[in-house]
Amino acid sequence: MILDLHTHSIKSDDGRAKVENYCQWIRSKELPIDGFVLTEHRQYDVESDYSTLAEKNGLVILKGSEVETEYGHVLVFGVTEALTRAFDFSRIDLPLAMVIETCEAHGAVPVPCHPGRPRVGMFAHTEELGIPAGVKTVEIYNGGSRENEDQIAIDNAEKLGYRGTGGSDSHIVSHVGRCATEFSADIRDMAALVSALQAGEFNAVTFKH
Amino acid sequence: MTIATIGDVEFGIELPTFEPDTSLATGTRFADLISWDGVRFRDHEGAKKEGFQGAIIPGILNQGYLVAMIHNWAPPAEVVSVDTVFRAPVIADDSHSITGVVTDIDEEDGKVEIDLTVTNDKDETRVFGTAVIRLPT
Repeated sequence: MILDLHTHSIKSDDGRAKVENYCQWIRSKELPIDGFVLTEHRQYDVESDYSTLAEKNGLVILKGSEVETEYGHVLVFGVTEALTRAFDFSRIDLPLAMVIETCEAHGAVPVPCHPGRPRVGMFAHTEELGIPAGVKTVEIYNGGSRENEDQIAIDNAEKLGYRGTGGSDSHIVSHVGRCATEFSADIRDMAALVSALQAGEFNAVTFKH
Repeated sequence: MTIATIGDVEFGIELPTFEPDTSLATGTRFADLISWDGVRFRDHEGAKKEGFQGAIIPGILNQGYLVAMIHNWAPPAEVVSVDTVFRAPVIADDSHSITGVVTDIDEEDGKVEIDLTVTNDKDETRVFGTAVIRLPT
């Protein structure tokens, strides 16, 4: 089962894609993915319910978040109402150590994304701030990567023993599914996704070329 | 095929790829025309001193290329909006291409939404965005 773990819709300030158009695109272009996770910037979209859309299109549509720390951006899977009250998702200066600790206390999984990117990626900060404790998984394939950003992520993940996910980081409809994550498990809800991520039963895949 | 009415448009249809002139000479000429000073539009070495990879093409010239691509494809289109996100500068003298694809059609309103992507020759997305156009019914 293949899921794009990093997408944005019009709910994000720089997102331009409507979720129904993502579905239409995936189906009409016969993309090899089974669904996607909406990871809106600096928020958790509580109110949107995509279950009807998901069912109609035979796709899995889940919701996470992308928060911002001193080490760059971090995807969070398994957000609960309690977790949204534990720290302010809208801040751009969250301490990564606190995000990791709090997510784990609430059963959620933090994944630093595009870690090879200057400024907003974790490995851009490790020389100055040190290797952060508690990171287990990072995004190694990102659909928006430039230059050697993915290779920096892959090399550092291997060196540090991190697992790797993939996601398109799509902000417009036609960019969805460029990268994704393949799971051995059948994932239909966030609980199953969190379990698979915690168990390390996945591989990053790229369809960019 | 050029587009005359909204009936000619299908979801997922690709616009012909547009090869914009991103030469330093054109970028500089455009900056002169709109009275934009700044070494970043005029000189690779000067732009590097400002932290760029090289001289950059003014953003609004890139937006002009997006509109040109749309009108080449659909001459009667009224461009309602072009909404761009500049992820990275368009570097002068690098080759770029612009792709567009239809991602939403509202036949009642006569509106079509197009995804737009500017990539360089390394296939890196430099600019992405969407345009909304209105076409005759």
